[in-house]
Amino acid sequence: MAGKKSRLDGVVTFYASHHAVRAEKVLTKQGYRVLLVPGPREISPNCGVALQFPYAAVEQVRDLLIRNRVQFEAIHQYRLEIDEDKLDRQ
Amino acid sequence: MTPGKIVYFDNAATSWPKPPDVQSAIVDYLENVGGSPGRSGHRMSIAASRLVGDARDALAELFNVDDPCQIAFTKNSTEALNIAILGWLKPGDHVITSSIEHNSVMRPLRFLEAQGSIELTVVPCSPETGSMDPDDVRRAARPNTQLVAVLHGSNVIGNLLPLADLAAVAHDAGALLLVDASQTAGAYPIDVAALGVDLLAFTGHKALLGPTGTGGLFVREGIDLRPLARGGTGSRSELEYQPDFLPDRYEAGTLNVLGLAGLGAGVRYLLARGVDGVRRHEQTLIARFLAAAATLPGLTVYGPPDLAERIGVISFNLAGVSPSKVGLILDREFGIMTRIGLHCSPAAHRTLGTFPDGTVRFGLGCFNTLCEVDYAVTALTHILEDQRNGR
Repeated sequence: MAGKKSRLDGVVTFYASHHAVRAEKVLTKQGYRVLLVPGPREISPNCGVALQFPYAAVEQVRDLLIRNRVQFEAIHQYRLEIDEDKLDRQ
Repeated sequence: MTPGKIVYFDNAATSWPKPPDVQSAIVDYLENVGGSPGRSGHRMSIAASRLVGDARDALAELFNVDDPCQIAFTKNSTEALNIAILGWLKPGDHVITSSIEHNSVMRPLRFLEAQGSIELTVVPCSPETGSMDPDDVRRAARPNTQLVAVLHGSNVIGNLLPLADLAAVAHDAGALLLVDASQTAGAYPIDVAALGVDLLAFTGHKALLGPTGTGGLFVREGIDLRPLARGGTGSRSELEYQPDFLPDRYEAGTLNVLGLAGLGAGVRYLLARGVDGVRRHEQTLIARFLAAAATLPGLTVYGPPDLAERIGVISFNLAGVSPSKVGLILDREFGIMTRIGLHCSPAAHRTLGTFPDGTVRFGLGCFNTLCEVDYAVTALTHILEDQRNGR
């Protein structure tokens, strides 16, 4: 039974879910472990989907998104509280 | 041919059959995915967003588009063409088009012209081959020319227009090139970057092998069109104004996810098979038909003799038999599905000299076979013999 997990992550917010899905594809292809998660309301009022990634890779992630021309709103540090078994894992 | 077998030669209207993956993708969305793309953060919504994103990515690969978000989904080519035409032109602009356009281009242009909003030049194409001379377009250009709008492959004559040359002429005139790729997307290689196409309208249910109700518009980066519809996008929900970024700018309202699931599968089938391979296959079918047709007295085939200039759309008439009668006999007696009449393209038939009766049209597709072409030639031979014998 998976429980609550708390850790410091990076969260990318987007204006539109198309961009979130594109970001997921670009970063996964480069071997990053990322997850699309419900966007934390306190961070962004936008599309509802945000991308969680290991914050240690923030510079590489930012660079990859820009180089692949994936539009995003902002990159945040975020302490994510998540039920592990509710995560979408593709 | 097996008795009772259907020979489907109406792929220019809509393709049939579809690859099995198209059907399973649609069923999979209904059974397992559900969800509205871009509207929520839960896993079913995300799965739907991925599905739409995968279809967009596949199309971007097919047309060599750098950023898939420059492709907006629509319900068909017609809607895409209307977004492009009505969203780009301003009062006082001049537009150049060809004399073989489908009504999906001609009607919105004639509407704006009749309103007194734009000036329109229809450049005559060759009555024999349908070809359009880029120099004629150059000569038609005016200081206020803002758009050159042409089809890529004719849905009546089956000829191809020289997009790269037309793009160069359009850009020299300070205009955009809008291309209606309804008959070529999926059947003929299209590289929007290499060709210099600014706006490309495509439909999903023809050679892209998706279901009806799908299509889209590629918009080159930096071009801003006024949206045709405004509404919910799931993005920038705090704003009461339409977002300015693509594809949301042109995608108001919930998308046809069911259809796009199928379209994505159709395009992935094409990417795996290769559009070059599809093109080669269709050329062997066209060559077989043209060679046989040349030996049949009383059969007139329209369009260019050169295979390189042709797509799998073949218009013809039989001496002494109306197109509607030929179409009926082909269906009832031979099980061959064709489209007869004017094909929503009165201008093309006027150019060809086949207005108002029209022609019989074979729309060959990637699943047709040489055997089916031979069978169709036999059927036409029978109809001509019956005509000669007064039956």
